[in-house]
Amino acid sequence: MKADFSGLGIRHVEPVGWVFAVMNFIFLLCAVGLGLFLVVESVPVLRSEGWGFWLGENWWVGETFGALPMICGSLIVTGLAIFLVLPVALSGALFTSEYLSSSIRRRVKGVMELLAGVPGIIYGLLGVSFLTAGVKDVLNLLDGNTLFTAGFLLAIMILPMVLTLSEDALHSVPSEFREASESLGLTKLQTALRVVLPQSLPGIVGAVLLGVGRAMGETIAVMLVIGSLDRVPGFNFFVSGQTIPSKLGREAAEALGSGLHWSALMGLGLTLFVMVAVLTFSGNLFIKRSSQ
Amino acid sequence: MNAITAEKMVLALIGGVTFLIVALLFSILGVMLAKGLPAMHSGFLFDASRDFGRSGGIFYQLTGTLMLMAVAVLWSLPVALGSVLFQTEYLGAGKFKNLLTQLTYILNATPTILFGLVGYIFFGVYLDAGVSWVTGSLILAVMILPTLQVSIREAVEALPEKYREAGMALGLSRPTQIWRIILPQSFYGMVTGVLLGLARAAGETAAIMFTATTFSGIQFPQLFSDPVPTLQTHILVLAQEAANPESIAQAWGAGLVLLGLVFLLTLAAWAFRTRMVMESEL
Repeated sequence: MKADFSGLGIRHVEPVGWVFAVMNFIFLLCAVGLGLFLVVESVPVLRSEGWGFWLGENWWVGETFGALPMICGSLIVTGLAIFLVLPVALSGALFTSEYLSSSIRRRVKGVMELLAGVPGIIYGLLGVSFLTAGVKDVLNLLDGNTLFTAGFLLAIMILPMVLTLSEDALHSVPSEFREASESLGLTKLQTALRVVLPQSLPGIVGAVLLGVGRAMGETIAVMLVIGSLDRVPGFNFFVSGQTIPSKLGREAAEALGSGLHWSALMGLGLTLFVMVAVLTFSGNLFIKRSSQ
Repeated sequence: MNAITAEKMVLALIGGVTFLIVALLFSILGVMLAKGLPAMHSGFLFDASRDFGRSGGIFYQLTGTLMLMAVAVLWSLPVALGSVLFQTEYLGAGKFKNLLTQLTYILNATPTILFGLVGYIFFGVYLDAGVSWVTGSLILAVMILPTLQVSIREAVEALPEKYREAGMALGLSRPTQIWRIILPQSFYGMVTGVLLGLARAAGETAAIMFTATTFSGIQFPQLFSDPVPTLQTHILVLAQEAANPESIAQAWGAGLVLLGLVFLLTLAAWAFRTRMVMESEL
């Protein structure tokens, strides 16, 4: 059994190898099929709405489908999450990488990894029970289910991931750089801020992009605290809103499997998929560049 | 204020922030324990839920979660193992291999609800599995595929080159090499991947809430076409009845069990990963 796959760089394959090849093909099918299905299933809504699908402000089932409120909501919520998480995660990463002994550092990283695995539904439960009430009381609002609440909860959720990945980037800067800088008379903090930080910038950007991607796709926790109201929110973040995943989570069960409503949801899914895929791809590119 | 005091203040600040971040995990754990333990009466784990989840236990929800994640790994493991072995042992470095690696990353970062949407159309509608535990386990299987792949690949690629060379010097065929050298040597990596995959599947709600699960009406699925109650859906439904203290109390109890399950699986995965690192350093 000889096959010529030389174009793909595949070496000679024995019969057992074909089993592995089939498994690899199934994996390829899953990944490509995911994108393909999203495109095919959203064709009906794109045909009936055109560009208006992304620009329309109204989502009235049975009449018109406009995704703008959800797109804005997603961007605002993720933007807020990044804005809140960045200073905290960077301080944590800098301190962990530059000042902690290796045994404590490993423990902090362990804690972060454990924290990163906490299911979204647990954050949702915590958010519903404490955060919404807290936001309502502290900011004196009528309703604690706001875009800000969702952004805050997402910031907590992605903190461990952004911290660990940026810490990896900082820690991978060779120690010669630090030694050279300190021998020139710079203090440890100056070294960290002026030598290590710029060196590891691509890795940190990558970490943040991956965090953004993660925040953008979170469904359950956001769905429980955002208030689920479709409207283009403007610049007031302390009102209820909607993100793409929260909309999908709210309406997928109603529209299940057929009709223009379902196609519209798949269109939203496609939009989300493209946004997250771009973020992930560029995030990995940055991280790869920093580790070289 | 001179430079040294300024430096000390900045240091104190970022040190304090780091401490607070670590404290965050413990406060989450503390809140879960404080809120969840009161719900744990003697039969909480082994009684069926009653009165729409307001009283009773979570036995069938727990079995539902365990069943979905276990079946998902059964689907996923052969595909993950086969595809990694194909990529590491049969594919030379090249564009195709890079493409596959990128696909793993993208699949890993894909918002989980999209697996639910597309999985429902493919498994539920085209393969006619409907809203059922079979659909749910297949969706979760695709979702955890990258988790398993990454762990297995790390283990296979961590194998010292001399092992392969020794195998080749003995004239072993490639299947024999895989069977006798690569699989046994990367066993711990496989276990790590499986445990992390189980943890990820256990924590997932969005992908299965409208494709596989039900809140009430079914205890343990009798047919392939039955949906299944799970801890995740249970918490989701109860959490939205925030006005009702009995519901919320039960939600905390179920949440504590779910979090305990995820943490146990993750810690077990670490234990095996440490074994793996030690073996590869021998």
